[in-house]
Amino acid sequence: MAGMGKNRILVAVAVLALVLTACQGGETGGGSEAGDVKVDIGVTTEPCPGGNAERDCIYLGVLSDLTEGPFRALAVPITDGQKAFWKRVNDQGGIGGRYEVNIETYTRDNKYNPQEHVAKYREIEPNILALAQTLGTPPTLAGLPLYKESDIIAAPASWWSGWEFEDVILESGYSYCTEAMNGLDWATGEFGKPGTVMAVHYPGDYGGDSAAGVAEWAKVNGVDFQASAHDVQTTPNAQAGNQDAAVEKILRADPDVVMVATGPAEMAEIVGKAAAQGFEGRFVGSVPTYNPALLKSEAAPAIKALYHFVAPWGPWGSDTPAHQAMEQAAGGKAPANDGYTFGWIWSYPLKAVLERAVQNGDLTRAGVRAAVTQVTVDYEGALPDKTYSGEPNQTTVRQALIVKPDESAPLGSSVHKDFFVGPTAEKFDFTKPCVAAG
Amino acid sequence: MRSRPELFTSYERDQAPLNTPAKRAYFGLLLAGLLLFPFSVTAELTALGATALLAAVGAIGLNLVTGYAGQVSLGHAFFLGLGAYTAAVLSGDPDGRSLGFGLDMAIWLPAAGLLPALVGLLVAPVAIRLKGLYLAIVTLGLVFIGEHLFRELTAVTGGPGVGRPAAQLHLLGVDLGRRSEILGGYPITREIKLYLIALVVLVLLAVPAKNLARSAVGRAFAAVRDRDLAAEVMGVSLTRHKLIAFTISSFYAGIAGALLPTVTGFIEPGSYNLLLSVQFLAMILIGGVATLSGSLLGAAFVILLPRLVEELPRFLPFVASQSTGGVLTTFQLQTLLYGVLIVVFLIAEPRGLFGIWVRARNYWKAWPFSY
Amino acid sequence: MEEFLSSTVRGLAQGSLYTLLGLGFVIVYRGTGVVNFAQPALMILGAYWTSYFALVVGLGFWPALALAVLVTALLGAAVERVALRPMVGEPVFSATMVTVGVFIVLQVVAGDLIGLELRQVGHPWGLERTEVAGVVVFHSDLAKLAVTATVVALLWLFLRHSRLGLAMRATAASQEAALALGVPAGRMFGLAWAISGALAAVAGMLVATGGAGFSQATTLVALKALPAIVLGGLDSVPGAVVGGPIIGLAEAYTKTYQAELFPWAGDNVDQVVPYVVMLVVLLVRPYGLFGTREVERV
Repeated sequence: MAGMGKNRILVAVAVLALVLTACQGGETGGGSEAGDVKVDIGVTTEPCPGGNAERDCIYLGVLSDLTEGPFRALAVPITDGQKAFWKRVNDQGGIGGRYEVNIETYTRDNKYNPQEHVAKYREIEPNILALAQTLGTPPTLAGLPLYKESDIIAAPASWWSGWEFEDVILESGYSYCTEAMNGLDWATGEFGKPGTVMAVHYPGDYGGDSAAGVAEWAKVNGVDFQASAHDVQTTPNAQAGNQDAAVEKILRADPDVVMVATGPAEMAEIVGKAAAQGFEGRFVGSVPTYNPALLKSEAAPAIKALYHFVAPWGPWGSDTPAHQAMEQAAGGKAPANDGYTFGWIWSYPLKAVLERAVQNGDLTRAGVRAAVTQVTVDYEGALPDKTYSGEPNQTTVRQALIVKPDESAPLGSSVHKDFFVGPTAEKFDFTKPCVAAG
Repeated sequence: MRSRPELFTSYERDQAPLNTPAKRAYFGLLLAGLLLFPFSVTAELTALGATALLAAVGAIGLNLVTGYAGQVSLGHAFFLGLGAYTAAVLSGDPDGRSLGFGLDMAIWLPAAGLLPALVGLLVAPVAIRLKGLYLAIVTLGLVFIGEHLFRELTAVTGGPGVGRPAAQLHLLGVDLGRRSEILGGYPITREIKLYLIALVVLVLLAVPAKNLARSAVGRAFAAVRDRDLAAEVMGVSLTRHKLIAFTISSFYAGIAGALLPTVTGFIEPGSYNLLLSVQFLAMILIGGVATLSGSLLGAAFVILLPRLVEELPRFLPFVASQSTGGVLTTFQLQTLLYGVLIVVFLIAEPRGLFGIWVRARNYWKAWPFSY
Repeated sequence: MEEFLSSTVRGLAQGSLYTLLGLGFVIVYRGTGVVNFAQPALMILGAYWTSYFALVVGLGFWPALALAVLVTALLGAAVERVALRPMVGEPVFSATMVTVGVFIVLQVVAGDLIGLELRQVGHPWGLERTEVAGVVVFHSDLAKLAVTATVVALLWLFLRHSRLGLAMRATAASQEAALALGVPAGRMFGLAWAISGALAAVAGMLVATGGAGFSQATTLVALKALPAIVLGGLDSVPGAVVGGPIIGLAEAYTKTYQAELFPWAGDNVDQVVPYVVMLVVLLVRPYGLFGTREVERV
C-alpha cells in the first residue's frame, strides 16, 4: 500500500525527460505578413533546411506507405518522384520566385492503415501548409474531415471517383470507376464481349470504386455480373495470409474477364494460382496492381500471358515534356518502378495552386484553399489541362491507356494502347462518386 | 504523532492508503505534476500522456484479474475492442458511413464499460472451469474470435483496412473534442481536454480499484491466486470471486478501450490483436504484478517507449525510421524491447518497476545503514 | 462426395502440421511444465533457414532442411538455457510469460530476416496434383502426411526405445527422482526444447509448401496448433496426434462448406473455428480429451 504516492519520483523523472524531449517542437508562427504575401501556418521566413538561404520555406507534409503496407513497393518511388519534382521547382526559383518547398521534414509512414494515418497526420498538421501526398483511399478518407476542418489541401496518391467532389483534394487523371469501364471496353474490343465479368478487390473505396465501375459497365453492356458471385472482396496478404479464397471463387465462377483492384503481390498470387489451376480468362488490373518486380516471381509467365493494366498517363519513357523533365531530374537513372512517374505527375496541381495563391498575395491555408478553384493545371503534356471548378461531370477525366508487362522496357511495362475513352466511360453520367458514402 | 509517522492508533489510520504525511505530500506532488504536465509540453506529448493515463486504466483492469486474482487473461484486447466499438457506435454520427446513434458521453461512457463487463460475465464460467495455462489459451482464442468479429461486422467497424471514426466527445451538450478554445484568453487545445478527461477517469477508477484490492474481496483474490483449494476450504467462494474479477476487469478494459481511440479519433479493426493483449500484459509485468502503482508505471513506460525509441535513429546508426537503410526499423526495435524487457524483468526483478522503486526506497530509508 | 474427400485430405494434411507443432508444445510442457509460446517463432525461423540454405546458399532441399532443423534445435536449446533456466522454481505463469517475451523477440528477428516479401523454401513438389482413388490430391498434402508420419514414428521410437528418451520421460515424470538417479535434468530440459525446435522447423517447412510460400504473417498459423493440443490434452502425446487432425478437419470442412451452409458467419471463419472447437471441448472436458487431470495438493 505504500505505492500510490511513491511512484511520483519515477513519474517526475519521466515527465522531465519528456519535457526535455518536447523542447524541440517546430514553431512555424501564427498569422503574419511577410512582405506583401499573407502567411499563417507552414510557411517560414527562415530558409528550408539545406536550401537556398535567400528564400522562404513552404513545408508540405507527406503521408505515404513507406514500410509495411501493401503498396510500399510503389510508395517509396512515388515519394522519390515527388522529391525530384519539388527539387526541380526549387532549382527553377521556387514558388513565385520566392518560396522553396520542403517535403522531407514532414514525411511520415501511414502503413496504408487509416488509424495510423490519422495519428501521423495529427503529428505533422501543426507545421504544414498542405499535403504533398496522402496515400491510399481509405486512409485519405479517414483524414478528410480533418483536412477540411484545417483548410489543408492535399494531392492524393489515389484515384477514387469521390475526390472530384471534394474541394480540398487535388486529384489527377481518371478514377478507378472510369478505369474499370475503360479496361472492360478495351477487353471487349480486344477479345470479344465477355459473357461474365468479375471484380476482385480490396475493401474500402479503392476496390469498391473499381467494383462499382465493373457493375456499371456490366449493367450498361448487358453482361452478367452478380454481386454475390462476382464481386469478390479480399484483403492484403498481411491480413488474409494468402489469396486462396479469392482464387477459388474465380475458378468457381469462371468469368471471361476479371478486373483486379488489389496490391501487386496479391494480384500476382491471384493470377499465378488461377492460371496454375487452369483458368483461361483475362485479367485487367487497376494501375496500382503492377510492380515490375513481379516479372521475377513465380507468377511471371501467367502475368505476361493473361494480364494487362490500365493507366491514367504514360509510363516512364513516354514522349512528353513532363516525362522528359522527369527523366532529366532523375539523372538518367531509372527508378524502381512507375511510382516515380505517379509522384511526379501528381505534384503539378499543387504547384499550380501554390503559385496562384502567391499571386493572390494570400499564402495562408484559407487562401491556398480558395486558390484551388481558380487554377488551370498544366501537366506539361502528360495530361490535358485540368480545373477544379465547374461540374464534375464536365471536369472529370475519362481517358486511359492500356499497358502490358514487358521485360524489355526500362520499367517493366510498355504501352499497348494509347489514350482512348471507351464508349461506356464516355456516356457515364458522373453526378456522384461511383461508391457513395454509406 | 509527527515524529513517529508509522505509529498508528486506529485501524482506519493503519489501513488508509495515504497513512503517513510523507505519502500524502508525495501524492499531492504527483497530482500537481500530472495537472501541470499538459500545460507545459507540446500537443503531441500531451496526447501521449493522455494515452498513457488511459492505458493505465486498462492495465489496472488486467492487473485485477491476472495480478491479484491470478486468472491469466490474454484476451484483454477483445474487451478493449468491445468498449471501443460500443462507444463509437453509441456516439457516432447517425448520417455517417458506419452505424451510429449520436448519444452523449454521459451515456456511452458507462455503457462502454457495462457491455464488456457483461461479456466478461459470460466468459467467466469458462474461466471457472479452467486453470492456469488452459485458461490462458482459451482467452487467446477470445482474441482471435474477437478479431474475426470486428473484421466481419463492417456496419459497426467499417471493415478491415477501412475503419471508422472513434467516439465523439460530447458531454452534456458541450463538445469536448473541439480543436481549440479560448478560456479566459488561454487556449485549451483538444489534447489538453483529452488529457484532463483521461486524468479524471483514471483517478475515478483507480481509487475504487485500490480500495477493492485492500478489501475483503481483494484478499479473497489473493487467496484464489495463491492456493485456490485452500481458499475454497476456508470458505472463499472461487466461482464468485472469479466472476467478480473478470467482470470488473472487463469493465475497466471497456472504459479504457472506449477512450483510447479518441486521442487520434479513428479506429481500424485490426488494432485489437494479440500484440495489443501482449502490450497490456507487458505493462503489468514490467510495472509490477498485483500492485496499482505497478499498473501506472508499466502503462507509462510501455506507452512512452515508442516515443523514446523514435528519437533513437539520431543516436544509433543502425536503426532507421524507414524500411530502407538500417538493420531495424523503430517499430521493430520497440517491439524487440518489449520482448526483451518482459524477459529481463521476469527473470531479474519479478516485481517489476515497482519492485525496483521499493528497493531504492528501502535503501534510502535505511541509509547509511543499508546493507 | 469428391469435394468431401478432397476436403478431408486437405484437412488431414493441415492437421498433421498441427500435430507436429503440437508435439513440440507437448514435449516442452511435459518436460518443464511450461507452454512454449515461442514455438510459432521457432517455426517461422525454421522455414526461413530452410529457405536460406536451400535457395541462398544453394544446398539441395533435403540437406538444407536437415541443416535448418539442426540450427532451430540449437536455437531452442539456447533459448532454454538463457531465458528459461533462471526461471526454474518460479511459478509456471512467470515462466510462460518469459516464453511470450521470447516469442516477441524472435518474431522481430524473424521479421527482419525474412523481410516483407513472400519467400519460398525450394521444395521439390511444387503445386502438382495427382489423382488417388478418384480424388485430386496435392503433392504437398501427401508430403505433409508422409513427413509427419515419419517424424511421429521417429519420435515414438526415440522416447520409447532409447536411453535418452527414457531419461527425458523420467525427468518429465519426476525431476527429483530423476536427479537422484543421476539424470542431468537441466540437459533434459535443453533436449526437450531442442526437439521442440526441430519439430517446429519441419512444420515451418511444410507450412511453406502450400504454394504461397511464407512471410512474417505466417507465424500466426502456428498459434492454431494451441487449440489442437489443448483439445488433446497439454501433456498428452497421443492427444497431439489426435487433436491435430480434428482441428485440421474442422478447418477444412468449414472452408469448403461454410459459404453454403452458414454464409452469415462471414469470410475466413475457418481461421476461428479451431478456437471455437477448443472452447466447446474444454467446457465438457477441462483437461482436454486425453490430458491427465492435475492432482492438486493444498
